[in-house]
Amino acid sequence: MAAGTAAAGSQGSRTFLWVSVLGLLLVVALPALFIVLVAIFPRIGSGSLAAPFVHLIDTLADPDLARLGGNTLLMGAGTVSVAALLAVPLAALRALFRVPGALLWDVLMLVPFMIPPYIAALSWIMTLQPRGYMEQLTGVNLGWLLFSVPGIMILMALNTFPVVYFILSRTFETVGARYSDVGRVFGAGPWRAFARITLPLATPGIAASLLLVFAMTIEEYGTPAALGRRIGFEVLVTGIENRVSEWPIDLPGAATLSLVLVTMALAAFVLQRWLLSRRDFRIIGGKPQMIVKRPLGGWTVPVVLLFALVSSLATLIPVLAILASALCRTISGGLRPANMGLDNFAALLDAGGSGLTALGHSLALGGGTAVVAGLLGAITAYAVVKGRGRMRGFLDGLSLTPNAMPGVVVAVGIILAWNQPWLPLSPYNTPLILLLAYTCILLPQPVRYANAALSQLGDNLEAAAQVSGAGANRAFLRIVLPLIAPSILTSMILVFAVASRELVASLLVAPIGFETIAVYIWRQFDQGSVGMGMTMAFCAIVITTLIPLALIAVLRRLSRQGAPGLHPA
Amino acid sequence: MISAHPLALSLRGLRMAYGDQVVLDGIDLDLPKGQVLALLGASGSGKTTLLRLVAGLLMPTAGTVEIAGQTVAAPERGVVLPPEKRGLGMVFQDYALWPHLSVARNVAFPLEMQRLPAAERAARVTQALARVGLGDLADRRPSELSGGQQQRVAIARAIVGAPPLVLFDEPLSNLDRELREGMVEDLAALVANLELSAVYVTHDHAEALALADRIAVIHRGGIAQLASPAELIDRPASAAVAEFLRLGTLLPARCSDGEWVIKGTDIALGPGPDAAAAQVLLPERSLAPGTHGPAQLRAEVRSMQVRNTGFALSLTIAGTDLPVRLLSAHPARPGEMLALSYSPDALRWFPQAG
Amino acid sequence: MKTGFLAALLALAAGAAQADVTIYSAGPGGLIKDLSAGFTAKTGIQTNVFQATTGKVMARLEAEAANPVADVVISAAWGTATQFAEEGLLLDYDSPNAATVPDYLKMPGAVAQGVAGLVIAWNPASGTPRPSDWADLAKPEYKDLVTLPDPAASGGTFTLVEAFVANGMTDVLEGLAANGAIVAGANKAALNPVLQGAKAAVFAGVDYITMGAAAKGETVEAIFPTSGTVVAPRPMMILKSTENADDAKAFVDYVLSEEGQAMVAKVFLMPSRTDITADRPLIGDLKLLPTEGAPAREAVLATFSGLFN
Repeated sequence: MAAGTAAAGSQGSRTFLWVSVLGLLLVVALPALFIVLVAIFPRIGSGSLAAPFVHLIDTLADPDLARLGGNTLLMGAGTVSVAALLAVPLAALRALFRVPGALLWDVLMLVPFMIPPYIAALSWIMTLQPRGYMEQLTGVNLGWLLFSVPGIMILMALNTFPVVYFILSRTFETVGARYSDVGRVFGAGPWRAFARITLPLATPGIAASLLLVFAMTIEEYGTPAALGRRIGFEVLVTGIENRVSEWPIDLPGAATLSLVLVTMALAAFVLQRWLLSRRDFRIIGGKPQMIVKRPLGGWTVPVVLLFALVSSLATLIPVLAILASALCRTISGGLRPANMGLDNFAALLDAGGSGLTALGHSLALGGGTAVVAGLLGAITAYAVVKGRGRMRGFLDGLSLTPNAMPGVVVAVGIILAWNQPWLPLSPYNTPLILLLAYTCILLPQPVRYANAALSQLGDNLEAAAQVSGAGANRAFLRIVLPLIAPSILTSMILVFAVASRELVASLLVAPIGFETIAVYIWRQFDQGSVGMGMTMAFCAIVITTLIPLALIAVLRRLSRQGAPGLHPA
Repeated sequence: MISAHPLALSLRGLRMAYGDQVVLDGIDLDLPKGQVLALLGASGSGKTTLLRLVAGLLMPTAGTVEIAGQTVAAPERGVVLPPEKRGLGMVFQDYALWPHLSVARNVAFPLEMQRLPAAERAARVTQALARVGLGDLADRRPSELSGGQQQRVAIARAIVGAPPLVLFDEPLSNLDRELREGMVEDLAALVANLELSAVYVTHDHAEALALADRIAVIHRGGIAQLASPAELIDRPASAAVAEFLRLGTLLPARCSDGEWVIKGTDIALGPGPDAAAAQVLLPERSLAPGTHGPAQLRAEVRSMQVRNTGFALSLTIAGTDLPVRLLSAHPARPGEMLALSYSPDALRWFPQAG
Repeated sequence: MKTGFLAALLALAAGAAQADVTIYSAGPGGLIKDLSAGFTAKTGIQTNVFQATTGKVMARLEAEAANPVADVVISAAWGTATQFAEEGLLLDYDSPNAATVPDYLKMPGAVAQGVAGLVIAWNPASGTPRPSDWADLAKPEYKDLVTLPDPAASGGTFTLVEAFVANGMTDVLEGLAANGAIVAGANKAALNPVLQGAKAAVFAGVDYITMGAAAKGETVEAIFPTSGTVVAPRPMMILKSTENADDAKAFVDYVLSEEGQAMVAKVFLMPSRTDITADRPLIGDLKLLPTEGAPAREAVLATFSGLFN
């Protein structure tokens, strides 16, 4: 700390600043740098700097770019709207009222995180398309809705709205009813008090979570690939994926399109920053408050029905469709009893152990990624929210960048960066490379969660710890970290769930001979064993749901008194 | 922790500026051990900034801060100790209790940072909580306590480590009046019993007068006056100090032909300094109804409030708009003319140029 | 706990790094698994397999170009071999076991592992009449019931479209487009709706995938159209950058051995060697459409998207 600066004591946490800077450089900036390099120097993969900028200009001048970009924005905006429509009312109800079965709904809302989007899309196709499960059971099909642009938005919103639901229910819980009660005293009806007071106070959570959904949507590959291609609706990610996965390979083109995508996400991020910088949203002061929830009264039944409807759309239908496919011996046999059995499950447990090995790999990697990304994310958010100086914006932007980099591009960047022949030591071709890839892809989640939690934390809580003799690092560990722990934990569970089923990057960077859940499923599909793939998907969903739940149950028992609002997500 | 050094706090030439904007400048003060210094000022005067400089939550631009003889901040010499190295206790305006820790854990925190053995820690936490009258609430969460109880926890946390200096940042401003008055007494007793050295920031002069051995009136980033409470009331250093302390009426006075009169009237004020114009403090406590004193004024009653200690009258000096307040034993009707007497010795003169 | 996890990961990595021949192969996964297991059993040489789609294999090769890892590459598109040969990336090797492989299935630097053919993959339970030629799928009975893989994503479909363009048969494609056929991604994405019955047939299905599904009990049939079809040989190449040339050659020999070719036949691919029999129509039994005279790749794809978008 330079003498004579007017710095707050909390900036003393230089260590964290540097941990965060180094971590982000290694995990995010390095692969991103190589993506930029490959966009500029198309032959960099073979170590040559020939023909700079030629390809970049070609790709940017392609009229296709406008179409892909426009579609991407349309899909992102549409999905964000649908997700907000689904999540905001549910989150507000969950946070401010005593909803019967609240824990059950939370668990059900958690499941969409655990369903890989490509599996969810496939299960919806198998349910809704003509002669799908729905037509087999009820005689009607909704293929017309599914294979349409609104259909894609609805499906993607069903996959992503829990992000908004969980972040917002925590935010609403913190805001509580006390401020809107003040509004009601001054003559606002309950709806107006909510709209004019509670909702604006929840702005950080709303902005952060919707931004996250936007970024997740424009970066998502599975759903637009499964549905969009059928109706000629191509977005940037599918365009990128086509350039990387269809021979002849066009890495520079893919890199260029990725840069466009990153620009879009950063623009959304700047917008969010601008929204938040205009006001102060700190609502946890040093005066701790009890959280009191109200009864729903006559609204109990409609509210429970709403929760049941949304959670069955988001969770039950896809999971049942996956289970149905897993139980069917053949797809063409349909849902007839004669065609159903546990053969696939027996085969999974029995198949020379390769299925179980893949499960083990994914769970270990998922857990490792959750720890690494959770810690790095918390430290980065802390450096961003409580720190000062130019580093802040840089760190914040860098930590969000991966959200806009499609998994496949991260994978290419990581290979380019870590397979350089002059590196004396490289994690390439070891499982560590997957840990790096997953951390890079998922880092934005803990950063966003911690960010929202930290911006609601009063400065004096930390100042009090420092005055009491705790150094910056200890003040962080003993005071700040426990207070944002529920949010960090939520994000770590999310990271675990997503990392343990990540497909696109895994397929490309997985060390030779190393299978993860997603790679296993993909290989099963590739061999035409849809049933086997779905069986693995079902087991993975069950396991990745149960492990975090068990963890939360243990944590709740350990801290009976509970930090305010530790709920299972 | 208890130091032998005679001064608990010493500030020299302290300056704090953000770029061109000077927040504090030229701050010099000494706080002898065992005394309480109040930093009194209006909001925006810089008093909280000064406290945060002492705490180490802000770093000065120039000058030195010494706590119990140890230099903790001297930017010119490259000394900038972070807050945790200063061994302080502090009570925050919003209490800043950690919601995830129990009352006892909140209070034990500074001792944990000092790496005290658990047994001693427990004993001292119990003792500190007993001192603030919260012995039976040790296992509660802060959110389960009332505002006054939370305040007491914050105080217990600040004193548990027996720090050489305790900082109070408007600790009572969040409490209601009745509780505040009770707390002022309790705090004064606590401070006296423990022989604490303390810096107490407040905008409430009653609190400052009740608690402090010495009061620094902070005005526009500087110390307007540093004095004992009695001295402050008796001899305010400037019209601004007198006005801020609400000591009485400031009368504009003019001297013509060696005679001082209230400006724009022929009301005589007796002998004054050798100047052409001045502001004169007519202290409220020197005024009495009736004509028994050596000098008299006539004033018109504007309004009256009934108090439990008497009748608070608002008056204006006859023929002017100059307001005078008076606590009277007898009620009076608006419009009524009263005779007031005072001693010319009680007047305080602040000469003005021109 | 974290160090333990890292140690475990490193141990796994070390295990992977010791192997001798590194093979990047396009699907089917079962085949390359069997081949490498058989090879190790026979020669004692360890193998390391990276299996993905042809596109993913190529992307990884391209990204690793500065520091190549693979020794042997097996792809599903012959064009990858011609391109690699042009770039001088391939090691020329004439396997003694390739003597009975016909000339059009080998070139300097590459030899076919096996050959796939293109068919109509038809669901007999779909309530449609059994098609016998490509043009049948443009009939009203198949309105909105046909899928076809995207020629940009499927090498086989591309070759078929190329042949249609070369032989003036684009009217068939026009008829398909007019009949509501949809372009549905890669080969698997095109087949799945047919299995469930949402669609009746895949135009340009891959024969071995269709036959494999039928063998698993799915209601689907591979029909070789009467007017002829195209085949997609699967090139097997040794990269010039290999440091294990001898072991890599041994692997190629093994794939072309009778034992290796029997494994190829087992997954319903046509063996490259003419002297190996298989339980399916072989190259000699098929009527093949020539692709000579077709325009460049971009022109073929442009023609196609002109019809379907």
